[in-house]
Amino acid sequence: MASSSDATSSAGNTSENPESGSIPEASDGPARRGRVRGRRAAIMAVPAVAITAGLAILTAEGALGVQFAISGMPFTVTATELNGTGFEQFGGLDNMAEGSPNAGDTGGQVLVVTSAIKSATLTKLCQSVDLGGTNLLITAGGGSEKVQATDLTTDSTELSGDAAFTNIEIGNDASTLTKAGVKGPLGVFSQQADTVRIANLRQTNYATTAAVFKLPGLNLSFSSKGC
Amino acid sequence: MSEPPRQGKRAAFRRWRGDRPFWGGLLLALGGAEVLLTMKASMKVVLHMGMQGLAGYLLPALMLLLGLLILFNPAQRLFYSITGVVLSMGTWATSNLGGFMIGLLLGVVGSCLSFGWLPDQEPRVSRRKRRRQARALQQPAAEALQ
Repeated sequence: MASSSDATSSAGNTSENPESGSIPEASDGPARRGRVRGRRAAIMAVPAVAITAGLAILTAEGALGVQFAISGMPFTVTATELNGTGFEQFGGLDNMAEGSPNAGDTGGQVLVVTSAIKSATLTKLCQSVDLGGTNLLITAGGGSEKVQATDLTTDSTELSGDAAFTNIEIGNDASTLTKAGVKGPLGVFSQQADTVRIANLRQTNYATTAAVFKLPGLNLSFSSKGC
Repeated sequence: MSEPPRQGKRAAFRRWRGDRPFWGGLLLALGGAEVLLTMKASMKVVLHMGMQGLAGYLLPALMLLLGLLILFNPAQRLFYSITGVVLSMGTWATSNLGGFMIGLLLGVVGSCLSFGWLPDQEPRVSRRKRRRQARALQQPAAEALQ
């Protein structure tokens, strides 16, 4: 019996029900169990690692756009310069996931300023999340190529910088916004502009989403201090 | 040599684990769950972004599903693990760099372990035990020569 089952397993027979042959009998010595064969696993591991490394390199060179959707934890975003077309801003309320440990005494809701930009380029983007002691630090766009984002929406509790707008309309109803394609709640103060330029941008965000984020010169690291 | 047969729930769990690529399936499912946890954008924004936003949720959800399928239907583990490794790598582009790489690595490692798993192998022999067996074989031969 031992030799026959040995032959089937070394041939890589997959259709065999693994439950059938391995009911262990106490009298039959130590039970035969399934096991990971290193060489077999390497057949998949080697190309998988190569492709993963390739993806990382492509992203770092800015050839591949990656998509972000982060929330629940506040994180800091800084950039030396932000240029965007199609800008909207309105107040709103963010709900955390039920029972989130980040809720604290806020009751799971935070008041946020939602900014939406149709398309934006950012210079020297830096993003950090405090993971309790260490910070996950993501930097990009430090070189000649800049970070590009389309349909960028951020929910921030703090926003500072030196801003310049063209064709700004202040005091619209948030539900009538047109410039960036996002509509806010009815009856809420809002503003919109054709173009926006913010120098020394600094945001504390609860959520960022972008349809496409291009991150040339991506660098992801853990650091003791944030941005 | 032979271990005393263990009884109770732990022995049953150990036997159940021996019948399937347990760690591979578990790691793949955990990886999918980790990526899903980092994807908490509000549904309104996802709907606004359309299919591209939905894929960010779809891929890790499928990873989680495939991990569980590997655990509960190990006979089809080759298909599940190959699909799993492709999906894990896809989350790099769709879901926060694969849950900041943690979920992606868990998924790839889990898929590889499931792919390399074979049922019904000889029990593992520790190096010390193997050496002792070799010595036991050599000694009678040496005595016979004298």
